[in-house]
Amino acid sequence: MTDHVTLAVVQAALEAAADEMFAVIRRTAMSPIIYEVLDMGTGITDAEGRLVSSGAGIPTFVGVLDKAVARLIEIHGDTIREGDAFVTNDPSYGGVTHLSDVVVALPVFHEGQLLAWAASIAHWNDVGGMVPGSMSATAQEIWQEGLRLPAVRLFENGAPIEPVMAIVAANSRQPDVAQGDLWAQVAAARRAEQRLKGLAERYGEGAFRAAIADALSMGEARARTGLATLPHGRHEIAEEQDDGSVWRAVITVEADQFVVDLTENPGQRDAPMNLSRDGSVIAAQMIFKALCDPSRFANSGSFAPLEVITRPGTIFHARDPAPQGYYFETRIRLYDMLWRCLAQALPEKLPAGHFGTIGGTVIAGLHPDTGRRFTMVEPQMGGWGATPTRDGLSAMFSASHGDTFNCPAEIAEARYGVLVEQRSLAEQAGGDGLHPGGRGLSVAYRMRGDAVLSVGLSRTRMPVWGLAGGRNGGCNRLVIQRAGSAGENEAHGMASGVGLSPGDRVLIETAGGGGWGRGT
Amino acid sequence: MTGTLRVATDVGGTFTDLVAFEIDADGHTSIRTAKSDTTPPDFERGVLNVMDKARIDPAAVAFFAHGTTVVINALTERKGVRVGLITTKGFRDTLEIARGNRPDFFNLFYEKPKPFVPRYLRRELNERMSYRGEELQSLDLSDLPSIVAEFQAEGVEAVAISFLHSYANPTHEEAVLEELRRLWPGVPAVASHQIAREWREYERTSTAVLSAYVQPVAEKYLRGLDRGLKERGLRQAPYIMQSNCGVDSLDATARIPITMVESGPASGFWGAAELGRVLGIPDILALDIGGTTAKCSLVLDGQVRIMTDYWIERDRKSAGYPIMVPVVDLVEIGNGGGSIAWVDDFGKLHVGPQSAGAMPGPAAYGRGGTQATTTDANLWLGRINREYFCGGEVVADMAATEAAITRVGEKLGLDPTEAARGIIRIANNNMVNALKLVSLNRGHDPRDFTLVAFGGGGAMHAVALAQELGVREVIVPFGASVFSAWGMMMSDLRRDYFVTRLGTLEPGAAEGIETAFTAVEDSARAQFSAEGIERKKVVFARFGKFRYQNQEHTVEVPLSSDPVTDADLHRIASDFHTAYEREYTYRLNAPVEMVGLHVIARAEVGKLQLKERPLGPVDASSALKGHRPVDYALEGIHEASIYDGTRLAPGMTFVGPAIVEDPGTTIVVHPGNEVRVDGYGNIRIALQD
Repeated sequence: MTDHVTLAVVQAALEAAADEMFAVIRRTAMSPIIYEVLDMGTGITDAEGRLVSSGAGIPTFVGVLDKAVARLIEIHGDTIREGDAFVTNDPSYGGVTHLSDVVVALPVFHEGQLLAWAASIAHWNDVGGMVPGSMSATAQEIWQEGLRLPAVRLFENGAPIEPVMAIVAANSRQPDVAQGDLWAQVAAARRAEQRLKGLAERYGEGAFRAAIADALSMGEARARTGLATLPHGRHEIAEEQDDGSVWRAVITVEADQFVVDLTENPGQRDAPMNLSRDGSVIAAQMIFKALCDPSRFANSGSFAPLEVITRPGTIFHARDPAPQGYYFETRIRLYDMLWRCLAQALPEKLPAGHFGTIGGTVIAGLHPDTGRRFTMVEPQMGGWGATPTRDGLSAMFSASHGDTFNCPAEIAEARYGVLVEQRSLAEQAGGDGLHPGGRGLSVAYRMRGDAVLSVGLSRTRMPVWGLAGGRNGGCNRLVIQRAGSAGENEAHGMASGVGLSPGDRVLIETAGGGGWGRGT
Repeated sequence: MTGTLRVATDVGGTFTDLVAFEIDADGHTSIRTAKSDTTPPDFERGVLNVMDKARIDPAAVAFFAHGTTVVINALTERKGVRVGLITTKGFRDTLEIARGNRPDFFNLFYEKPKPFVPRYLRRELNERMSYRGEELQSLDLSDLPSIVAEFQAEGVEAVAISFLHSYANPTHEEAVLEELRRLWPGVPAVASHQIAREWREYERTSTAVLSAYVQPVAEKYLRGLDRGLKERGLRQAPYIMQSNCGVDSLDATARIPITMVESGPASGFWGAAELGRVLGIPDILALDIGGTTAKCSLVLDGQVRIMTDYWIERDRKSAGYPIMVPVVDLVEIGNGGGSIAWVDDFGKLHVGPQSAGAMPGPAAYGRGGTQATTTDANLWLGRINREYFCGGEVVADMAATEAAITRVGEKLGLDPTEAARGIIRIANNNMVNALKLVSLNRGHDPRDFTLVAFGGGGAMHAVALAQELGVREVIVPFGASVFSAWGMMMSDLRRDYFVTRLGTLEPGAAEGIETAFTAVEDSARAQFSAEGIERKKVVFARFGKFRYQNQEHTVEVPLSSDPVTDADLHRIASDFHTAYEREYTYRLNAPVEMVGLHVIARAEVGKLQLKERPLGPVDASSALKGHRPVDYALEGIHEASIYDGTRLAPGMTFVGPAIVEDPGTTIVVHPGNEVRVDGYGNIRIALQD
């Protein structure tokens, strides 16, 4: 029986190891979306793949790595050896999200026994596929979205398997960046490996495992304590999407269970908006966590009371070879819909709706000053909804994001060779109400060279929702003002492969948040 | 008064401290300390009071160094002035948009930090530079008179100017500053390039705004101090402690006071580096434990590491506000002597970050504190002498301590002694993690370092931390509880210049790199000479910031101070590869880019010269006060020898288990440690391997 304090000491070290992995990737990665947007997560799992600690930049990556590791164990089972590392990006092989998110997982051994896993996931700039940035709005099959890495071995006996490394590099439009990102993730895993081995040596394997078991039960206890504060009930929602389709959810809150039923939903499509079942579970985990234990403490135990029901073949449980490049728009819309469903029932416990899109904007081309290929991959900021006690926040990244940093205009101009003409709060205010919603963002890029644009925006037609009598916020939009064409605006919501020429202006305006309460 | 008298004063939130160092002809250093209340808003009064209390005649003082928390307090208490901001057209909201991040990322009720300048006081001018410093659009000043009129009507008291790419070309900011001075003589104004020459517009804008916000407050304070001391006969203006471990002139600090923001911890870390130089120990882990926090920093090869990535009010719950000024690289955690031990709803023991502060303080102070603190645990375990609490000035209220610790224990199902051990172990673990952050996380093995521990609580925990980290020697410096003041006396006049400059290491690049360094050094020399510092007294150190092409973050590599030539480029790249691999375990066969330069300009302003005293007899029994049982937590209870720190003399040796009691601090020496007092009066503790 390990004493309290030793448990706490080991747990703190497990947290620190995940944080340290995060810091390593941030400082060494080459894709701006990793080091600036922090579109990545790190985690330590136990030998069975249960999440123990995470050093995430964004909350949606907290619950990914356990699922990835569990699948790796399923695939490789007995062949896992010390000195191995694995790589996967494929939703059918533990990738969970889309091909752009690459998972590197390293099994950690102590005295010949598998002790834990150090894993990370990061969004690489380019993994090949139909369009630069790898996210095509017109992909019909997953093969069009880039290189599939089906949970393959990347390291053996501590050394890289060069053919795999070569395949990875050759399949990116930016092979140097891909290699840099891959090494960043390997370095992070090695760092955590050292720490975990040190812990097991210092405190013994028994204390190590006891600390993990204790952490998981604490995660569950925290979740159940929060769940106990929620009124029981069955809440339903049906929500029309921008494309006219209607999504449905039933959320049942009981004493010891929180069930999200997504059975009745449209079938998967030959378009990149599909979500894996794991992705849908993450959306449900987000709202569950926000309600029951909004702290950053999270491990597999934190989600124990949650049950998610999906039907294979639907948009929320897509099967191979459904393309998933823009899965994140579907996931944030699902998160937003679950949030809305509960907010309508519990308006004091949640804010009104926020701008509700990742707004992933990719501009790729050759830098007009250096001639080097660049790929700008940026999410957008927007308005957040008001709460029962205050106005909504202005210009924040979406709820799927977290410690995500925008790219400074000064750096964007140097790195991408575009001119950032403005980045300001949108003139359009958020939804009116007792407390009004926050303002969205207005950002304009003036092109200096030729480039190609891809974008994925939600809530371009269906506005952001107000709460408790508060007014709706606005809609998101992107327009291209072509050089020389006075006043001609070309609007895009979901698009890829849109050509841009010098002098063209890309204007993105995101929605204000929903108002809360009836205005006076 | 004979000998040399040097005085350091430090204005904190509650107390104003004074430490006077007097070195007599034999090289013997004597230290006098005094404390009086801080006297807001006329802080200089507290300084003069404490001088009186210590019976210091300002006219006899050879060197006067001053540290103050006036800037950080004005910021955190929101007691600055109303600022108007002038920015590039299209970017007035940069300050409010900030970086858009939400560190508390599951929380949908996150509170975004409010901008220090509301939208209606953020105005724009037409102008534009490119990232290469080319003028894309000329500056149009025609709106400035109306902006000034509105600022005046709205009661603006200071103006900040921040244009895009001013780090690359500051001429537009300079022109606005000049015109502003014509339109509105005397208004405190600052342009971002005057403080920071690095890219990232939000960080630079925030820096300019926060500097303007505190400038009138700080200037009034510094001028008042200067006047008061001069009236009392001080011959030379005080030197003001900065966040980069140097001091700067009072005039320069009054112009740009934001550079003082983190000056509190800086002097102690500098002291550790200077002590290392005296003792011939280049690699040091410096640990400063005070009442509410523990701070640590790494000294590598005699150098402190200075960075410009400093934020206030940033934690896991809030994005905070950036201040892009040179600040010593440190990790601070909420774990000091007054940190409160508590048990959360799920039965987990924590220590800090909440502190019992000075009022009510630890339960043992007997001022009504009911919560157990680290100090209470140290008392309960016999590590602090209950008969000699706070240097004998306070009678320890052991009943209150027992009650407080018992309450913690009950929640954990532990008896008070087990609970107290738990508190010490948790506190130590928090500190070990902080020390790992500055060492292991940066690729340095703590076993290669010496731990220098100071502040009121440093010596109490240092050996336990060193054991955990594998450190082999702990040094508790002479006067450890006032070591920060000592560090202030050892500081040079120092300015750190960070400049963003993009370039390659391809053949032909050297000339441009050399030109950039020379430009910074020339302007530094000009600045120093305008302040009466001779040209030949100014010493430079050069560093480059490099990365692999496509990366963002950089590794700083020291460069030779000789002119850079193309022949050096290969070695520079190779130094980068080595430094990179040490930190991150791999190197790449990819092009290396230069992103910026860092120049340290230093001028000695006459630091304290230490003289080593001859070692006397090894027998320490004359300092032995007695014995008592001490609970060493993990190592159990041992009968420890208790030494009177004031009676220890150079040359004495003894072994642990032992406790050294000094009026300002308690040194906990673990079983098996070998202790000696060196020629400077430092306590050197050798740990078993």
